[in-house]
Amino acid sequence: MPTENLCDKRMSKFKNKGKEPTKMRDRRIAECVELRKAHKVESIMKRRNISSVGDEEPLSPCENTDNKQVISETIQEIVANVNGDCPEKQRQGCQAARKLLSRERNPPLKEIIEAGLLTRFVEFLGRNDDPTLQFEAAWSLTNVASGTSWHTQQVVEHGAVPAFIALLASPMLNISEQAVWALGNIAGDGPSYRDGLIDCGVIPALLARLTPDAPVGYLRNLTWTLSNLCRNKNPFPRFSAVQQMLPSIIQLLHHSDKSILSDACWAISYLTDGPNERIDVVIKTGILPRLVELLGFEELTVVTPALRSIGNIVSGSDLQTQAAIDAGVLSALPQLMRHPKSSVQKEAAWAVSNIAAGPCQQIQQLITCGLLAPLVDLLRNGDFKTQREAVWAVTNYTSGGTVDQVVHLVKCGALEAILNLLQAKDTKTVLVILDAINNVFLAAEKLGEVDKLCLLVEEVGGLDRIEFLQNHENNAIYRAAQALIEKYFSEDGDDQCLTTEATDSNFVFGASDLQKRFDF
Amino acid sequence: MLNDGNLQTLTEYLQKTLIPDPAVRRPAEKFLESVEGNQNYPILLLTVLEKSQDEVIRVCAAVTFKNYIKRNWRIVEDEPNKISDPDRTAIKANIVNLMLTSPEQIQKQLSDAISIIGREDFPQKWPDLLTEMVTRFQSGDFHIINGVLRTAHSLFKRYRHEFKSNELWSEIKLVLDTFAQPLTELFKATIDLCQTHATDVNALKVLFSSLTLISKLFYSLNFQDLPEFFEDNMETWMTNFHNLLTLDNKLLQTDDEEEAGLLELLKSQICDNAALYAQKYDEEFQPYLPRFVTAIWNLLVTTGQEVKYDLLVSNAIQFLASVCERPHYKHLFEDQNVLTSICEKVIVPNMEFRSADEEAFEDNAEEYIIRDLEGSDIDTRRRAACDLVRGLCKFFEGPVTGIFSGYVNSMLTEYAKNPGVNWKHKDAAIYLVTSLASKAQTQKHGITQANELVNLCEFFVNHILVDLKSPNVNEFPVLKADAIKYVMTFRSQLPKEQLLEAVPLLVAHLQTESIVQHTYAAHSLERLFTMRGANNATLITPAEMAPFTEQLLNNLFKALAIPGSSENEYIMKAIMRSFSLLQDAIVPYIPTLIGQLTHKLLLVSKNPSKPHFNHYLFESLCLSIRITCKANRDTVGSFEEALFPVFTEILQNDVQEFVPYVFQVMSLLLEIHTSSIPSSYMALFPHLLQPALWERTGNIPPLVRLLQAYLEKGATTIASTAADKIPGLLGVFQKLIASKANDHQGFYLLNSIVEQMPPDSITQYRKQIFILLFQRLQSSKTTKFVKSFLVFINLYCVKYGAIALQEIFDGIQPKMFGMVVEKIIIPEVQKVSGQVEKKICAVGITKILTECPAMMDTEYTKLWTPLLQALIGLFELPEDDSIPDDEHFIDIEDTPGYQTAFSQLAFAGKKEHDPIGDAVNNPKILLAQSLHKLSTACPGRVPSMLSTSLPAEALQFLQGYLQAATVQLV
Repeated sequence: MPTENLCDKRMSKFKNKGKEPTKMRDRRIAECVELRKAHKVESIMKRRNISSVGDEEPLSPCENTDNKQVISETIQEIVANVNGDCPEKQRQGCQAARKLLSRERNPPLKEIIEAGLLTRFVEFLGRNDDPTLQFEAAWSLTNVASGTSWHTQQVVEHGAVPAFIALLASPMLNISEQAVWALGNIAGDGPSYRDGLIDCGVIPALLARLTPDAPVGYLRNLTWTLSNLCRNKNPFPRFSAVQQMLPSIIQLLHHSDKSILSDACWAISYLTDGPNERIDVVIKTGILPRLVELLGFEELTVVTPALRSIGNIVSGSDLQTQAAIDAGVLSALPQLMRHPKSSVQKEAAWAVSNIAAGPCQQIQQLITCGLLAPLVDLLRNGDFKTQREAVWAVTNYTSGGTVDQVVHLVKCGALEAILNLLQAKDTKTVLVILDAINNVFLAAEKLGEVDKLCLLVEEVGGLDRIEFLQNHENNAIYRAAQALIEKYFSEDGDDQCLTTEATDSNFVFGASDLQKRFDF
Repeated sequence: MLNDGNLQTLTEYLQKTLIPDPAVRRPAEKFLESVEGNQNYPILLLTVLEKSQDEVIRVCAAVTFKNYIKRNWRIVEDEPNKISDPDRTAIKANIVNLMLTSPEQIQKQLSDAISIIGREDFPQKWPDLLTEMVTRFQSGDFHIINGVLRTAHSLFKRYRHEFKSNELWSEIKLVLDTFAQPLTELFKATIDLCQTHATDVNALKVLFSSLTLISKLFYSLNFQDLPEFFEDNMETWMTNFHNLLTLDNKLLQTDDEEEAGLLELLKSQICDNAALYAQKYDEEFQPYLPRFVTAIWNLLVTTGQEVKYDLLVSNAIQFLASVCERPHYKHLFEDQNVLTSICEKVIVPNMEFRSADEEAFEDNAEEYIIRDLEGSDIDTRRRAACDLVRGLCKFFEGPVTGIFSGYVNSMLTEYAKNPGVNWKHKDAAIYLVTSLASKAQTQKHGITQANELVNLCEFFVNHILVDLKSPNVNEFPVLKADAIKYVMTFRSQLPKEQLLEAVPLLVAHLQTESIVQHTYAAHSLERLFTMRGANNATLITPAEMAPFTEQLLNNLFKALAIPGSSENEYIMKAIMRSFSLLQDAIVPYIPTLIGQLTHKLLLVSKNPSKPHFNHYLFESLCLSIRITCKANRDTVGSFEEALFPVFTEILQNDVQEFVPYVFQVMSLLLEIHTSSIPSSYMALFPHLLQPALWERTGNIPPLVRLLQAYLEKGATTIASTAADKIPGLLGVFQKLIASKANDHQGFYLLNSIVEQMPPDSITQYRKQIFILLFQRLQSSKTTKFVKSFLVFINLYCVKYGAIALQEIFDGIQPKMFGMVVEKIIIPEVQKVSGQVEKKICAVGITKILTECPAMMDTEYTKLWTPLLQALIGLFELPEDDSIPDDEHFIDIEDTPGYQTAFSQLAFAGKKEHDPIGDAVNNPKILLAQSLHKLSTACPGRVPSMLSTSLPAEALQFLQGYLQAATVQLV
């Protein structure tokens, strides 16, 4: 997920505020340790074909059992059939294997591999004389390749890649489609097989099948495979490959089928999940307005990757962010921030947090387009992951915004909302909030309204919470809380009637206001 | 070496460290410290710990071992490794087993040691630790299992507060992979065993401490994010947690009223776990949440009032409070019956005044006040109940207010039936009204936003005023304290007439026996006196207070005589605030008051223990002096007469807490004098220059201020009668400018010396002063120093003339003057801050430009226009408050404002001093006039310099000044 491991990176911009403008925005870190389950809305890396052919009888009991004995016997039979010379038996064996590999639960991938069947299956892929055999073998291999990396590796090492690429051109649509699918599984395994496929010329072979008369089902598989060819970093797919695929992906983004749209969007999201040069390539295609349009779709499967793509783009440079703004992203975001799914809210808040990290002109556009009200709503009522993103948005906003903009945000209720979140059971979030509070105080100092702000913070219970944080086990937090208390809330801050009377010695170091260099 | 002789020696020394006599103990401790660097030392300790027959020695060895690990295990970069690698390996190989087989007292020490080692070495350098621990789960011996769990807890609890990082998460992932499944199995098995041993109290105790530890581990492991394992096993964990929450076992109930029992500890931790999931993993936890709400609420309904349940109850209520304000759980609460039942069975009972509160009220007033008044009640039941009221009001303000109004009325009726017996009902009613009404609150204003559905004024008139007016002020002290607190809390809501009605009643309550009661009265008055009305004047005027003034002052001082309140900071603050409010009206009472204050000062100076009390005492002294001397300066002598004996004693006895205050009060007194400096001050002068005094940072600001006052009033006296002290005085300056933290103070002093001392008296030191400044500039130039330096050289220029400045610089080193102008003045003057400081620089630079021939006729001439441009910039451009990169991270201690232990007295402050004053009203006009004068002296040159190199914009500003001064350049 986008923001999970970025905190440290994000923090750099607070600590060295204004020093590293290029690092102002938040990026995904390539490799991050995850504790959670892989996310449910994420697109799938590999898929098994478990559909059944229409005219088939239901699976026989032996094909659906977990009994090792039975399976082992079945496999022995398959081995015998497949290794024999009788085409009829080969077809039978292949089909039995495919059925085993297509059962819903516990397909015996390992057993099939260990039975040494892969060599034969790959061989069958070349049997243009027997399309049925080709098809059954392709299907079986597809499903083996859908397993773990080790399973995929077995398929590749048996030389399946060139055979599948050749099969793409098969006049039989179902065979070509199965090849598309198998190649998708191999590409989805990771950058190394992905690049191996690209080296073998998979892209032109795939794109050749992208014709107006191709059936929707076929196109779905094709789009998914293309998206897997865009997927993964370390390294990214090389630029030339991306350039080859992009026009077709853009074309697919205008298709009417939701599933095609979804995978095409995922492809874009992978391509934009990288350094600014990668983002630039996508922006140059002029696809931004269409992406923004897709944000307005009903289907979660489309909205999620479209929003992810937009989120990636606004984590790029100021110019790239501006391009997204110009394409109308700010009018689409409020509704996504109010989306019924919290995962969408979260991604939207993440995008807002990155826009808020930009120059004050872009912050102004957040205000103009009415994003503050939904942002404050998220701070108040969002689920925790969303609140965490929204907190980042506030901190970024307050560290880059003008005094007026900060005041506006406070008036919208953001301060009260983040003060409530000081109770969050997440150390980083708490620290980020303290940072935002500090930023708001800096703005108040410039306006000479520190006392007023102190009262506001105290009224809404913020002072109690900040004081409580002085006991926090985490040093950074307790120091930040203590610094706020010492600077703004120390004892007898209430004696303003006295401070006017009482000054320090002469030649006091007075407070200072604006900063501007002398330059005639 | 590991031999019997060494073991024997070690045992003997360990024994000696237990002997109270320092003559025996200290050398033994020293010896052990001296040998701890030896290889094998830790192994020897562990051997003694394991083999000694003497239980005391074993524990002693365990403690010594733990402290040794704490001091030495960490490998600090660039420092020698303090424990040899073989020892490290041996320790790690044996310690877990040793810990698990030791008796509990030793086990705890070793467990701590393991977690210290683990913090450094786990997981990379101690890969088998976890597996070794996990295998012990199978032992079936719960003594061992609890040892493992405790150690795991101390290893993992940092996951609760550390920032997420890849390193941390990799560690957690590793822990989850090896630990989560066995922990889950252990959890289930332990619960099963609880059933098996349901009647065996000893077994249950061990099992329940295991369950509590397991629950704590659950919290740590789930804190950073929801691990896949726990998401998959949520059913197991949550179902069991839920069952445990609803479980009761008579055998585990304790008789102790104070100490929480095992059941309470376990349930309390489960509440925390549920709250964690509800807050962070809402989506996944949603199916379980309603069950937990019901269970926790039932738990609350059935839990008693004893103190031992406090943590559990407040955790449980906080859980409900956090859930009820989330929009999608609102439906769980909205039923009128549910709300009524929560109000009746959860909130009201937990607001009741308990016997423990009553005891604190009577016997431990200070703690009671801190909890009740200053909000350190964060985990009390009352606070939790209040938070729940506030949470419920977010969606259900109307119904909740309605339900509570009913309770308030019935409780008041109960009270009315028999006040003597039922007074606690009224207390609860007041508390309920307060928590229901307060939506926002600050110390300064009390409640600032109230629930509109509660009629606060009516309640005040009908139920509060009666108690305040009751003739027997000492009856029902708790209710009286409640009533006083009500006035204070709602002071911003109540109309002024009602506050004025309350004032004399509060004054009367200053005399009550109960400490809480008279403290609250003092605090209430103090708060009322700070309230502001129209035009920012005090809401309550001295005229309105006139009828009560004498009574107020009398009662405040009498209250200080009540046992237990002799150093009551609230009363002293109220005295200070009363003086500040009443101003001239206190003058007639000063002779008495100053005697009382001085007497108090004498008493507390014997043993200063209440910093706030002492601070307000000195503030009150300052106020007495200011107010009285404002009316009549001559009275300053009588203050000196009264105070100097005490001050002398404080200075002689070096009462560190008070010395800075004394200097501030003395400065205030000395500044009031109009003629020359009294001899009593001069006698003290040499003592003020003693280096020892300047070693304490807290003394520096007030001492500098005092020396400045000496210079202002007695420069000529010093020059004539104490000329030999001048080098000492300059020595102070030299010490101060050497420090980045105090250099500005050094400049304050130097400025006063240059401004006030007769020129002849310092002639011989001048060159040396500048050399010191240049040295510091060379060695560590900071923005703060440069700013002060600029102000000083310009002040010098104003006082001694530009030629003198140029000559002294160039006398130190050829072309020095030009270098300072070019490298310091021109580039840095824009940074100078403060009106007076800027004016000094403006006048000084004007003099350099127009009264320094070297600027016109030597190679310095090229600097003339840039300097003028810099001056125009100083006039016209915003201040440059940028700080160079390398100064961003100067330690906090190096910046003024963060100094330790200096408590500035607000009422001892003085007016800002302007050494130029009326001599120059408008420096821009002065510049214009001076340029005019210069141009007439050398016609043609000034306009030509301006036209050739001054930028147009600057020229435009300059023309504006010339026009305003109605002069023209020729």
